[in-house]
Amino acid sequence: MNLKDKIRAVGGSSGTRKDPPAETSTDCRHFAVYRPAEEFPGALELTAETLRMMSDREIPDGLDPRRILYLDTETTGLGGSGTVAFLVGMGWLTDQGFEVHQFLMRDYPEEPFLLKHVAAGLEKFDVLCTFNGTTFDVPLLESRFLMNRMDRERLLALPHLDLLHMCRRLWKLRLGRCNLGHLEEVILGKPRVDDLPGSEVPQRYFTYLKTKQMSLLDDILKHNAQDIASLCVLLNHMADLYLHPEKIRFSEDVYSMGRALERINRTENARHCYRLARRGRMGDSAGAALAMSYRRGGEREQAAEVWRDMIRDRRGGIVPYVELAKYEEHVRRDIPAALELTEKALLLISEPTLREGKTVQESKNELQYRRQRLIRKLKER
Amino acid sequence: MNVAQLADQLRKDSMFMKDVTRWEVIPARRARTAPFPACMDGRLKPALESRGIHELYIHQVRSLEATDRGEDVTVVTPTASGKTMCYNLPVLSAILKDEDARALYIFPTKALSADQVSELYDMIEEIGVDIKTYTYDGDTPAAARKAVRQAGHIVVTNPDMLHSGILPHHTKWVKLFENLKYIVIDEIHTYRGVFGSNLANVLRRLLRLCDFYGSHPQFILCSATIANPKELAETLIGRPVTLVDENGAPMGERHFVFYNPPVVNRQLGIRKGAIPITRTISGMLLKNGIQSITFARSRLTVEVLTRYLKDLVRDPLGNAGRVRGYRGGYLPGERREIERGLRSGKVDAVVSTNALELGIDIGALDACVMCGYPGTIASAWQQAGRAGRRQGTSIVFFIASSAAIDQYIVNHPDYFLHKSPENALLNPDNLYILMSHFKCAAFELPFEEGDRFGNAPGTEELLEYLDEEGILHHTEGKYHWSAEDFPASEISLRSAASENFIIIDITDPAHHRVVGEMDRFTAPMLLHENAIYMHEGRQFQVEKLDFDACKAFIRSVDVGYYTDADLNISLSLLDVEKEEPFARTAKAALGEIKVTALVTMFKKIRFDTHETLGFGHVRLPETDMHTTAMWWTLPDALADKMAGDRLKNGMMGIANLLRIVCPLYLMCAPQDVAVVYQVRSPITNKPTILIYDNCPGGIGLAQKAFSMRDLLLEKALQVAEDCGCEYGCPSCVGPVGEIGEDGKRTAMRLLKELAG
Repeated sequence: MNLKDKIRAVGGSSGTRKDPPAETSTDCRHFAVYRPAEEFPGALELTAETLRMMSDREIPDGLDPRRILYLDTETTGLGGSGTVAFLVGMGWLTDQGFEVHQFLMRDYPEEPFLLKHVAAGLEKFDVLCTFNGTTFDVPLLESRFLMNRMDRERLLALPHLDLLHMCRRLWKLRLGRCNLGHLEEVILGKPRVDDLPGSEVPQRYFTYLKTKQMSLLDDILKHNAQDIASLCVLLNHMADLYLHPEKIRFSEDVYSMGRALERINRTENARHCYRLARRGRMGDSAGAALAMSYRRGGEREQAAEVWRDMIRDRRGGIVPYVELAKYEEHVRRDIPAALELTEKALLLISEPTLREGKTVQESKNELQYRRQRLIRKLKER
Repeated sequence: MNVAQLADQLRKDSMFMKDVTRWEVIPARRARTAPFPACMDGRLKPALESRGIHELYIHQVRSLEATDRGEDVTVVTPTASGKTMCYNLPVLSAILKDEDARALYIFPTKALSADQVSELYDMIEEIGVDIKTYTYDGDTPAAARKAVRQAGHIVVTNPDMLHSGILPHHTKWVKLFENLKYIVIDEIHTYRGVFGSNLANVLRRLLRLCDFYGSHPQFILCSATIANPKELAETLIGRPVTLVDENGAPMGERHFVFYNPPVVNRQLGIRKGAIPITRTISGMLLKNGIQSITFARSRLTVEVLTRYLKDLVRDPLGNAGRVRGYRGGYLPGERREIERGLRSGKVDAVVSTNALELGIDIGALDACVMCGYPGTIASAWQQAGRAGRRQGTSIVFFIASSAAIDQYIVNHPDYFLHKSPENALLNPDNLYILMSHFKCAAFELPFEEGDRFGNAPGTEELLEYLDEEGILHHTEGKYHWSAEDFPASEISLRSAASENFIIIDITDPAHHRVVGEMDRFTAPMLLHENAIYMHEGRQFQVEKLDFDACKAFIRSVDVGYYTDADLNISLSLLDVEKEEPFARTAKAALGEIKVTALVTMFKKIRFDTHETLGFGHVRLPETDMHTTAMWWTLPDALADKMAGDRLKNGMMGIANLLRIVCPLYLMCAPQDVAVVYQVRSPITNKPTILIYDNCPGGIGLAQKAFSMRDLLLEKALQVAEDCGCEYGCPSCVGPVGEIGEDGKRTAMRLLKELAG
């Protein structure tokens, strides 16, 4: 038995096949898609200042929205050095509308050409925008640049807006999952039709490699161009919401925006959102978040005011009582008032509470302890 | 009483001594040292001196010098001889000189890495420099991984993690690969067989990537005592190594006592059990305040012996805590605590499986008791090495069980004591293993036409094959990975076949849990439906075996029997590689065969009495395995002289003898090698005895057996001759009931005939 037969016996054989001969190429394939400006309302008005509310990345001053590069890759697998980005789509706004330029490697030898186009693209822009690019597209391209001994500096230095994270901060509370297709449907109100599932992409490409039938890739190209355009629409939709939180219909979303703003120390904007959210389903959390924000800022009286409002509106269970009791005891040193609030909280304890992770009994014990201390303090006077 | 006094007393005890087959005293050895070599960075000196080290042992100096000359080094050192210095000193020197330099440490298990890293930390702290040492394994938190990849000067890992976590993601490890100066592999004697063959290929992949990144790392390898450390190391890394095997560490006097429990039933060859004897001897050590380690072969025996010894010292003060058990399955924290207890002297006796055999630091103890032979000479020496201080006397007891291999050792102590004939074998070119790693390599970096994969044969054929199968895509002189799979996830380094069966406990319907894995060639035997599967002393019944999905579903049961499957093996010839005439008319051959295994039925056997309670049918597909084999063909003339069952009985006797001898001389576990006899073999059409590698593709055991075939027959005959039985017993040719009255005589006659 010769070695080749042994290899077949060990590895199993599906019968020999032969590829069509490849031609030596000097560039990869380029496709361009143009979309009208109407599809991207307000996109040209996007400012650095607005983006800074949405992300903590370093956004250059006076950023021209036409210098944001929207990028998405289609790959042969889920990662590791053997995964290749066979299609890279890059889109940007122009005065006339939105352009998507897609670079496809028709075979592996075209990869360096594809990467050169990507590198050239990166040079021309000031901000990169992707969907899940932090964990997927950027490390993958980094790996491909490295494998082709190309410079990775620009890719890593470019400020990067990862819409996945930005969307999660805004909508995860309400929607749960935040994949791009779902967001397009629910947030933008544009469900996709006949879209190719992402999991089928690699196999499509491998079949194309064997047959070189370009029609196999039609769906992928369409899907990729749509993804990129959606990035731009989504970013601008979000920007609009950040500028006008009062337009947001869902209490969960306004509250989430408040949290997102607070995370990057946009305290005033955050408080505005919390105030807006106080009337809706997230009212309890929003009230508590607002009061806590005041307290952290040293504005104890404003915080107390919020707690008092909550008590008046019967919101937030025992939390406002406890917090207000702390305020009376430690700030205003009004022990009788603190004691009264604590005793009211004890009466209320069976009602639902905001305090997660604590059993009713634990809360009760804490309140009792507080009550005892206050009584002792009263006596000591 | 101290060890020396205890030894004196025992030697005067004739009741004890009548069952001692050998009392060997290995004299004390002085330290041989030399000054710090010039190649060692001067900043290391104060750190060493503060630990009272003013000179190095000669083996440390030799290995430092060889490393400095740019050679790949293999250091062979017994336990507690300061081997970690052999690699820590050059590595630290290199990083002190160039802070960009990187080193990769590979240990076979996670526990070992934890141990060695803590030693390294101490050393680095003492030098007072910022050398970052990180462990990178399955336990490394995701948040810490980035720092390890970017900043770790010394990355400590294991083969499995290197294979699936580092190499396929090499672009995240640029710093490491670009600056890799040393690759340290400790305990290389554990990399034999399938595990070693896998590691050799992982290293081929590693070196291929280093080449891509332009680094040229040197190897520093450490091994326990085996016969062929140089050969093993060279096969593992695919390049020549410098061997450093003069041990300069001092050693106190050591006593080696071989004890064979007395025969209780001569007819059936039954001896008194090894466990009660071990209980007595370990108990005696404990009562005399001699710190000891007792090795037992199974987890169950460990638990039983631990309880016996604890009972011996149990008192209200909690002295039972002076005795500890140690085995796989204990939580890491508990293990660390026991190890500390041994070092500090808080623990007087530990009973362990071979889990403590590897270089985990427990300090040196006074005594070691081996309850049964651990399977290989190297293991036995590793275990014995746990006793033996640099000064003072130590003692090792070997208590033989009635297993044939134990009996061989206790009756041939010279085999154990003198120059070890054992070899650690591996076969990096095993086609199954090679192909799996070849795929990984192609995933990691495209092959170019004319590329080699280490020194593996058949690169071109493999590339063509993978291209034909559409796994690689050949274009403009390069082979690109063109499949969706992540090939590293398909390989388990510790077994040859790629698809393992997963064993799932479904006792709790709400909470199914995976309890283990089994390779696909063993699964039909032990995991067929209705089989009783034993796991950590608990019984489970196999409810369902999903052969296609490679899953077995088991449920906890409590029954008074176990099951034993009947395996039908048929062999067919694929290829004869070598054939040589032998002993006038006989022939010996080496080649490749296909082993087809089919399980058709199983027996239920009652515990204790071993009576058969019933049968069951098994309906499973055949499993095929290609492997290497060697065989002896007996001449027809010889066969014709033997009437009826005589030939069959004689051949069965020889096969049984070879089953004892092969693991010893091929240095493998008994289940790694299969011995089969066929009165009329379909392979040769003659009476034939075959030895084959019991793993797909083979790991070189058949080749080794072929090269030492005369010795194997000679040793088989010696076992039969030396055995005191008349007509056969389980310790030699097999019991009379199996091989008949004339079985032993016929086997010996045939062996003499073949030995010429």
